[in-house]
Amino acid sequence: MPPRRLLLRGVLTAALVAVVSPFVHVIDFFYRREAEGVKRQKIANMRDLTPGGFIYFSYPQTGDPKIDNDPFRQFVLIMTEDGQLRVYSRVCVHLWCLPSYIQTRRQLICPCHGSIYREEDGVAIEGPAAYQSYPTNALPMGKIEVDGNGDIWMVGVDGRIGYGREWHNIKPDELVRRV
Amino acid sequence: MSSNNIKNVKELVNSLWKWTVDRLERTTIVVFKFTVPKQYVSPFGYLGTLTAIVFAILGVSGAFLMFYYRPDVELAFLSVQEIQEKVPFGYIMRNIHYHASNLMVLLAVLHLYYQYFSGRYKIKNEVLWVTGVILGVLTVLEAYTGYNLIMNQRALLAVNIGMGLTYSAPLLGPTIAPIFLGGGLFDLIIRFYALHVFILPLIMLLLAVVHFPRALVIDFPIISAVVGVIFISAGLFPAELGIRFDLTRGVVEVPEWYLTAIYAFLRAGTERFTAGALLPLLFVILFLIVPFVDRSKKLSWRDRPFFTALGVASIALVAITTVWGFYVDFSKETAFDQLYIEPTLFYGLIGGVTLSSFYVTYFYLSRQKRGQRPPPTRPIVLSSRASAVLMTTLLILVAGAVAGTFYTYSINLPNHSMFYLGVAFILFGLLLHIYRHTISVEERQKGAK
Ligand code: FES
Repeated sequence: MPPRRLLLRGVLTAALVAVVSPFVHVIDFFYRREAEGVKRQKIANMRDLTPGGFIYFSYPQTGDPKIDNDPFRQFVLIMTEDGQLRVYSRVCVHLWCLPSYIQTRRQLICPCHGSIYREEDGVAIEGPAAYQSYPTNALPMGKIEVDGNGDIWMVGVDGRIGYGREWHNIKPDELVRRV
Repeated sequence: MSSNNIKNVKELVNSLWKWTVDRLERTTIVVFKFTVPKQYVSPFGYLGTLTAIVFAILGVSGAFLMFYYRPDVELAFLSVQEIQEKVPFGYIMRNIHYHASNLMVLLAVLHLYYQYFSGRYKIKNEVLWVTGVILGVLTVLEAYTGYNLIMNQRALLAVNIGMGLTYSAPLLGPTIAPIFLGGGLFDLIIRFYALHVFILPLIMLLLAVVHFPRALVIDFPIISAVVGVIFISAGLFPAELGIRFDLTRGVVEVPEWYLTAIYAFLRAGTERFTAGALLPLLFVILFLIVPFVDRSKKLSWRDRPFFTALGVASIALVAITTVWGFYVDFSKETAFDQLYIEPTLFYGLIGGVTLSSFYVTYFYLSRQKRGQRPPPTRPIVLSSRASAVLMTTLLILVAGAVAGTFYTYSINLPNHSMFYLGVAFILFGLLLHIYRHTISVEERQKGAK
């Protein structure tokens, strides 16, 4: 090809790339970023909780009941007997039923096929979820911050809701920050 | 009307028809050669066309269902219930859609295997073959997204498995899964809806344009029978509503029959991605590459022992896992135990059955000597009088079946009604067949004179 033609081709290609390049952002259209837990949301105050206490809440909250009631936004905040804070997704990693926190047993128990999760790290110790392979045998956890006023804020999610959490990598305590 | 008038009308219609056909020359439609066979030809040769016709039925019935269906987490189930229980004719519309979808998957599978065993992927048909395999995969995805829209327990089971295996896909899984899931179930259902009613069918249509061979066989008697089969199966196995998804209640569920094979693997403890995506993908890839591996000039299954044996083994594997996926041991106490499949037994048995069916077929075919083809059977020729009698009898039977359809519909037994209608369609197909048979016999006799 003569060099001049080559140059023209090059210019044309560059221009083409330039006009279509803004469409790389099209990918954003397919995600609901806010659902991936980037929001900072107040969920309770330390005064609201005593050891063994728990609060169900939805995150990220939008004010639209249809969205807020979605199972994928259901979480539970637990204060363990020794005063540790834990937030778990309430979507069972087996088949997505909603486990409840049972205070007397200090476990999360799924009503559907009886998976049982430990309160300290959300790992399934019994039932079908316990037989699933790592990392699909643990509940995703909420990342929280506790500020000077004792307000508890949820700031994100560790793990994938309805799927699992890589609990070998991040210990539950690392998900609670004092600010 | 005088005979002159009739003649004029006839001429008008004729010239209008000619005018239209002339103009159609400018469109792409003339690329297709539609053949309406004058006598019975085996439907195995044009199972693809039948699949496409069922696809059209699905398009129409599905479009009507959209009038009432609401793609919303809370309302979806209720709207399907409304269609099923309150909307006049809704029960039947939904059953047509549901059973046509099952039939489409079934026809597509039969089509695949018939073409496979008769070596049709050769003789320059590679593009047809590859698009066909892709269409088959899309058909299953289309059916999958469809039955999830009901948002009953069964739907949620399937959604859960689907999302789980997408998430566990290496590399791209965690990026792709949220595209379907969005911000939760409330997003997911609308996205599945968009896929089901628009995106997937559109891709399928475009692929079908490439996949269609230039000559299409449109055989009305068989089409009528196919419609009849949809109605009869709807009458015998009415589509169920299931139980609304309830995240506090464990139910033992089994997916639709074209997914129970995957379910069997999952229940035997196979990792999700392997069971739900990798194994099916291997299967699909096997079919995709077959035309490029099997380079012999031979077409008949008898002359290709290896590939025939491979096909038979794949049928054996699909059959055994499909049936196994359905089996639930209700003697066990918990839902989990009822569904549990002992892996060693499972893998041992499916491995054994698959391999042995391969070897038996292979050795049988490679040892056998080519026998003589059986002499062609003499076709039955009906006299004009016999056909007249037969057709009248069939007409009476059709009328009876239709009367039954109306009657059972009026006393609110829609599934009986569909059964009768199915019978009517099959009888009508038979009637049509005898009609064309008689006409062609008469024409041949005329030609002989
Ligand atoms: S859904 Fe929780 S145990 Fe099955």
